Amino acid sequence: MASNPMDSSTLPTDDYETLISTTDVELLKRAWRNEKAAPEILQFETDLIQRIREQILLMDETVEEFTSSGIDPLTVSLYQMDLDRSQFLLRSYLRIRIQKIEKYMFHIESTDELWNRLSREEKNFARRCTDDLKRHLDETVLSKLPDNYQSVQKQSVISEDDDMVPKPQLDTFVVCRSKEYLTGIQLEDGPVDDRSKLFEMEPGVLYFICYKSIKALVESGKIDLV
Amino acid sequence: MYGRKACQLVKELASGEKGQLTLFNIDLIDQVIAECSQHHLELQSLIRKMQEQGLDVQTSRNADHYGALIHHLALVRNKRCLMAYVHNRAEVIQSLIWKVGPILPQQIEERLSHSEEEYFKKHSSALKSYMSRLELDLTVDMVPPKDPYIQVRVIDDIGEGIVLSDDKTANFAPHSMHFLKRTDAEQFISRGLMEELTG
Repeated sequence: MASNPMDSSTLPTDDYETLISTTDVELLKRAWRNEKAAPEILQFETDLIQRIREQILLMDETVEEFTSSGIDPLTVSLYQMDLDRSQFLLRSYLRIRIQKIEKYMFHIESTDELWNRLSREEKNFARRCTDDLKRHLDETVLSKLPDNYQSVQKQSVISEDDDMVPKPQLDTFVVCRSKEYLTGIQLEDGPVDDRSKLFEMEPGVLYFICYKSIKALVESGKIDLV
Repeated sequence: MYGRKACQLVKELASGEKGQLTLFNIDLIDQVIAECSQHHLELQSLIRKMQEQGLDVQTSRNADHYGALIHHLALVRNKRCLMAYVHNRAEVIQSLIWKVGPILPQQIEERLSHSEEEYFKKHSSALKSYMSRLELDLTVDMVPPKDPYIQVRVIDDIGEGIVLSDDKTANFAPHSMHFLKRTDAEQFISRGLMEELTG
């Protein structure tokens, strides 16, 4: 947002392109796309969201100032549109995350790696969610079952891992694109003989690939989901 | 046959329309739970029998062991079916908060169990407190904005003198058409009081 188009005249096109692609709105768009396409919850973008919220506030003030000082309504509505789009991105980003928490709350709560990806507010929300749903499940079903079968997490006391709670499907397929040349990606699907072969990715080319194979690369920001 | 009732329960879930709730089937749930208790009793009596015969329950593999195993598996399967039923309904309840807001329409409320109603209230207040902590309402802006203004028609009586975000008041008489800011109109659209005119 608020990338001043005036700057473009003083910069060569390439620099301008890189500048545009690293504005916070572009970064948010990337985070939003990744979050939307990834089956599991990703790291919360604390700093980015903080910056975006400040910018939206600023933008909101600017629009108000423009309206009251009688600047051309068309200009104002263009700014308003920009503001609306950023607002949508922010809301949608937060919403997708909340919906993932709603869906996989027990799994997220019991997996440290996932739990640490949540923002402070999300943790609060997730804690309340799990308590509420647990109480509901207890009241309706679990408390009426025999002792050894009352766990929310496990089917019975002899289950070794948490086999009762829904988990995201990590072997689903996603469309993705790499920014740089990547090599040595281990495919985790397909016939067993093929798995030893390493897969490489050209920059800018779209691939349709099993999420599990590129999970680490998405988390480190080398690959974008589309 | 073991597990048939639990299967019915899941079928009921699967045959219903997606995102819709049917009447909470407490009778069937109780029957399945009773079946679980029955399995548990038989399981215990088989284990006792093995103990009385002086066999090691962990390692011996006789007819009683496999009998007990069948009861255990049937019980676990019933539990999965029960949980699938209640959990999937809980997911629909979560999605209702996004779709219809914090107050349930009567015809939906009638189909919920008491515990489900409680859950709906608790979950929507959890969501509300998350949003107020963020100072951001996430229930608006559900679709990407194309144009800041949209054309709408008033379906139901909303009343006069509604103050919009630009401090102007509007008179939303039924069937009148308006050109409004999307953010202003969205709350009315989601409550079914207005419809967006497209094309």
